[in-house]
Amino acid sequence: MPEAIQKDTLIGKRITKLDAPEKAGGKTRYIQDLDVQGQLYGKILRSSRVHAKIKSIDTSAAKALSGVHAVITAADVPYQRPIGVAKDHFPLKTDRVRSLRDEIAAVAAESEAIAEAALKLIRVEYEDLPVLADPNESLKPGAPLIHPEPHGATAKHDHLKQAQGIAYAGKPDNIAMVFDYAQGDVAAGERESDVVFEDTFHLHYVTHCCMGVSGIIAEFDSSGNLLMYSNTQVPFLHKREFAEILAMDPARIRIIQPPIGGGFGSKLDIYPFEPITVFLARATGRPVKLIFTREEEFLASPTRQPVILTLRSGCKKDGTLTFRTVSTLHDNGAYTSWGATTPFVMMQTISSLYRVPHCLYHTKAVYTNNPYAGSFRGYGNLQATFAVEQHMDMMAEAIGMDPLAFRLKNAQDPGEVTPQGMHFKSCGLKECLTTAAEASGFLAKAGANRANRDKPGRFKHGIGIASMLHVGGGAKIYPSDGCGTILKMDDFGSVTLITGASEIGQGSETVLAQLVCEELGLPLSAVRVINNDTEITPWDVGVHASRTTFIAGNSAIGAAKKARGKILAAAGKMADLNPDELDLRGGHIVEAKSGKVVMTLAKLLRQLHFSDKAELVMTSFYYEPPSKHQDKHFKGDVSAAYAWATQVVEVEVDTDTGIVRLLKVTGAHDVGRVLNRLGIEGQIEGGIVMGQGYALTEELLVENGVVRNPGFRDYKLVTAPEIPEMDVRFIETMDGEGPQGAKGVGEAPAICIAAATANAIENATGVRIMALPFTPEKVYRALKAKGQHH
Amino acid sequence: MTALDNYIAPTSLEQAVEQLQELGEVTILAGGTDLMPQANAGRVKFKRTLMNIRRIPELRGIVREDGEIRIGALTTIAEIMAHPLVSEHLPLLVSTGDHFASGQIRNAATLGGNICNASPAGDTLVPLMVLGASVELASKPDDKLFRRSMPLPEFFVGPGKTRLAPAELLTAVRIPIPPKGFVARFHKFGTRPALDISAISIGVAGVLKDGKLSQVRVAFGAVAPTPVCGCATEEALEGKKLDAATIDAAAQAAQDEVHPISDVRASAWYRKEMIHNMTRRILEDVAANH
Amino acid sequence: MSQQTIDFTLNGVPTRVSVPVQMSALEMIRNVAGLTGTKYGCGEGECGACTILLDGVSLNSCLLFAVECDGRAVTTIEGLAADPVGLRIEKAFVDAGAVQCGFCTPGMVMQAKQLLEQNPHPSREEIQRGIEGNLCRCTGYVKIVDAIEAASKE
Ligand SMILES: Cc1cc2nc3c(=O)[nH]c(=O)nc-3n(C[C@H](O)[C@H](O)[C@H](O)COP(=O)(O)OP(=O)(O)OC[C@H]3O[C@@H](n4cnc5c(N)ncnc54)[C@H](O)[C@@H]3O)c2cc1C
Ligand code: FES
Ligand code: FES
Repeated sequence: MPEAIQKDTLIGKRITKLDAPEKAGGKTRYIQDLDVQGQLYGKILRSSRVHAKIKSIDTSAAKALSGVHAVITAADVPYQRPIGVAKDHFPLKTDRVRSLRDEIAAVAAESEAIAEAALKLIRVEYEDLPVLADPNESLKPGAPLIHPEPHGATAKHDHLKQAQGIAYAGKPDNIAMVFDYAQGDVAAGERESDVVFEDTFHLHYVTHCCMGVSGIIAEFDSSGNLLMYSNTQVPFLHKREFAEILAMDPARIRIIQPPIGGGFGSKLDIYPFEPITVFLARATGRPVKLIFTREEEFLASPTRQPVILTLRSGCKKDGTLTFRTVSTLHDNGAYTSWGATTPFVMMQTISSLYRVPHCLYHTKAVYTNNPYAGSFRGYGNLQATFAVEQHMDMMAEAIGMDPLAFRLKNAQDPGEVTPQGMHFKSCGLKECLTTAAEASGFLAKAGANRANRDKPGRFKHGIGIASMLHVGGGAKIYPSDGCGTILKMDDFGSVTLITGASEIGQGSETVLAQLVCEELGLPLSAVRVINNDTEITPWDVGVHASRTTFIAGNSAIGAAKKARGKILAAAGKMADLNPDELDLRGGHIVEAKSGKVVMTLAKLLRQLHFSDKAELVMTSFYYEPPSKHQDKHFKGDVSAAYAWATQVVEVEVDTDTGIVRLLKVTGAHDVGRVLNRLGIEGQIEGGIVMGQGYALTEELLVENGVVRNPGFRDYKLVTAPEIPEMDVRFIETMDGEGPQGAKGVGEAPAICIAAATANAIENATGVRIMALPFTPEKVYRALKAKGQHH
Repeated sequence: MTALDNYIAPTSLEQAVEQLQELGEVTILAGGTDLMPQANAGRVKFKRTLMNIRRIPELRGIVREDGEIRIGALTTIAEIMAHPLVSEHLPLLVSTGDHFASGQIRNAATLGGNICNASPAGDTLVPLMVLGASVELASKPDDKLFRRSMPLPEFFVGPGKTRLAPAELLTAVRIPIPPKGFVARFHKFGTRPALDISAISIGVAGVLKDGKLSQVRVAFGAVAPTPVCGCATEEALEGKKLDAATIDAAAQAAQDEVHPISDVRASAWYRKEMIHNMTRRILEDVAANH
Repeated sequence: MSQQTIDFTLNGVPTRVSVPVQMSALEMIRNVAGLTGTKYGCGEGECGACTILLDGVSLNSCLLFAVECDGRAVTTIEGLAADPVGLRIEKAFVDAGAVQCGFCTPGMVMQAKQLLEQNPHPSREEIQRGIEGNLCRCTGYVKIVDAIEAASKE
């Protein structure tokens, strides 16, 4: 036993991930790698038409194939209920198909090969309907309707049509959702303006491309309890939703989450393949495993929300912003998922990234026969920031102010409450702006590039800046935005941390373990994290809105503090010392001042345990952030903290080809406080490259409802040789509510890259492009149109 | 399901061509980097027999024969890049390989497979054309091994279509050792250094003497159903001094003589623009560095 | 469907399996031999998650016909546990923070092993080129390059 132990901290250190050794050795079992004794393999037959009535489905030949256990269509599951954010989507399609990915039938068979062969034997007769491929067309009077009449129950099950909730009522027009927000008086704002710009920005389809494709295993036990192995990011919400869809008691549903091959927002909704797999398990009485192919992943997973955004904004000659009017058209696709609700985030950027007195925001999400959009890291913010930050540059130029000074003039300060009701208790925007600008030499380079751009030469250099605001302390969109923790100590001084927060590769379990160790003075090796079984873990609202470190972190700290209190009280009693003068360090109880060791933690725990008033150290804590719901005007302080960042992007534009290369990204991120430096750097670097893909290389090409590039060959993720040099700085604003001062950062790094790249291309060439992505052909066309090609 | 029900892996060329003749319905497998994904996507159907030709030693190796370099059909892109004879005489193939797919694929993809796959965007085809390569084919219609050869451009008929007879194997590629003063360039258009399908590609070669280009060969990839000769461009260059006017004329000729299509990778318009701009850049580079 | 019996060594262990002729080595390794460290990411050679070594040369196992393994030595990520260089790379990945969701990691490690074998002291640029056939959606590659660089310096 050492004599004395001095105070040490894990906060801010480079801590390796707890699960990394297993993963690096190929030992981690993802959903694809799991097999359940007796399992069958599920496959889904998808529509071969973009928009059509289903005239008939003949499954007889498929059913007759040896090794096929079940072939189901909507007619076999009359009890199915609609899924999705607007409950407009039946897992198995009933009367018509509305997009090319639509599920018509499903097979469970003894092997994947047999299941695939069976799909080929299913005959479907269609009657084609006119295709709506452009959201503008959907709004025209007389446009065909995507959800014209109640659907859900098939003719055979007429009585079910009446049953409440089973049928979807349909829509008399193609408008899925509408959002309106107003602050101040934009007309007054416009009257005060010296400069006004109005432009329309086009944001494209991209998709998550998690390296692990989607999959699920579903199984019923003899009592009818359902067990799902699922990669959902929101297990507790899904338990409830699945119960509704399947008309089951939620208590009978258990979700186990195997390690996930990437999330990024894609696993926030229920998708048809999940209930369909459950239907198959029900029909066969066997466990059913269903794993997508990569092509299916491209065709049938959600996309980022494509948006047509018209922005009108103005400022005074002195650089004060006056107003912003935004109108967006969201292509909702055929069904409504989270993409339609991205205005929640978009309006925050529009109203509150900078101080704007007058704002008007309007969104229509309209149905088309295109793929439908879900939630995706950044949640509308990439789209909004792309428009806002380009206009910031344009206005600065118009009034002859440098883009940095213009932003600083309008930047938010700590303590500010915006007209939308957000309260920025900590706010490092100004520091982010100046740090990123100084570290990159922004002003000098911008001036030099501008001076060079009309000189001859094939390659032009440009530098661009953009900032972002995003929720960093959860987002109260459900009745609770909280998370529970159970903490259990064994009699050897080790901790089991049972948290509601799922791990989706972002490294949350390591940060949580670290926060607990910090309270209990333990090495990381003393902590096991359990986070993947709804039967065991306490409630959590799910992984989204960059909330896990913040909310689950505070929850873990809460439980650890309770345990610490218990331990120190007991130690004080045992050693006859004042508990307030004790501390936990290195697995020991010590005197706080001198570090003198009093006893080992393990010994204390055993004494507690084996005493006559035997007690185990086990605590629980539920953390609910002090955020508020927005009112019906979308006003309110939805997050307990807000994250800020500025990114400066440097590009090289090849005027002969239109190829844009990202040379360097300098980022300054207000992260509250750095908890695990290694982890946070990794999050930011990964986000930067995801933003790079959004800006330059990735585009899901959808033509007339057909995805033209469902594979990595023509859907181009950024590869290693293409990444820019990165210089990432952390601004530590020590948020008062954050765990050890930290704020959420998961989404931030991807958000401003496209906007900053647009500004950099303009700086390099004088050409401003308002549509993404900046493919060589698009850039070349724009250069050519402006006579910038040599 | 497929009718594939037989697998053979002959260990000599004789044996292979005999079996090809005998069995008739045979799918040839080399590195498999085209065959596997094409079969999975249903774009090619297996014939009754799959013949793995990778156990045939005669199809391997790079040697110098007379005035030619002979590269066995089974030689992988990685092997070509690493071979001293290639770096000495055909450095163009080293840089071509450097833009080809990824490390893993370069280890598997064979030269013969790239040629027989006959994709208009196949990356060795354009360089081989401007190097004046010919292909060597073997079959055994009767008791005797029958070999023939033909200039590479004649070998291609359309996308995935060649003049290879049903019972014939591609055994090697022959490339004349370039003369003194020979210059050659290959440009593959893409945003990545490799792992990219060419939206267009350009090969230019010739003998540069006293600032003049002669014996010019120009070829383009991904602008037609097969890689094509840039005959008008060749004419614009042949025997001319490589000055600004010649380069402009050649770039214009190149743009005028290609008739590409629009697809997910690029529009026809953009392809023509790039043929023009990149032809010009290649020629400027040749003029500047020699 | 025609089955073919093949003999090869899998991570040094003599192995005999019977496989359909058109089966990929990836399917064979995962579903017949039961080693799941080798991942399916695309099935068409674009992502590198399925990278293995065949006679010491790295390949996409999704493009490789299983029958081609006959008579040869197959090494998968599981086999690197017996290889000092392999272990060094794995440890470097952990230490450098190169693992997030980890789905790309086995393939990255395999390709890194190939890279360091061919070029023991690569520059950062050479490392980036060396892993151009391996996609990662999480990390932005920086820490992966750091890891391979660190492994090369040990
Ligand atoms: C991800 C990816 C990236 C790629 N990138 C590139 C690239 O950058 N550039 C490029 O050009 N290609 C690329 N390819 C295509 C492919 O790798 C090449 O065409 C490769 O050279 C094919 O060789 P192989 O040995 O793998 O052919 P295989 O797939 O074995 O065979 C291809 C075809 O040729 C026939 N064949 C093969 N050898 C012979 C022979 N000796 N005699 C008769 N017939 C024969 C086969 O029957 C088959 O029809 C890429 C492929 C993938 C999957
Ligand atoms: S699975 Fe083989 S390269 Fe993607
Ligand atoms: S760590 Fe997730 S794909 Fe690389």
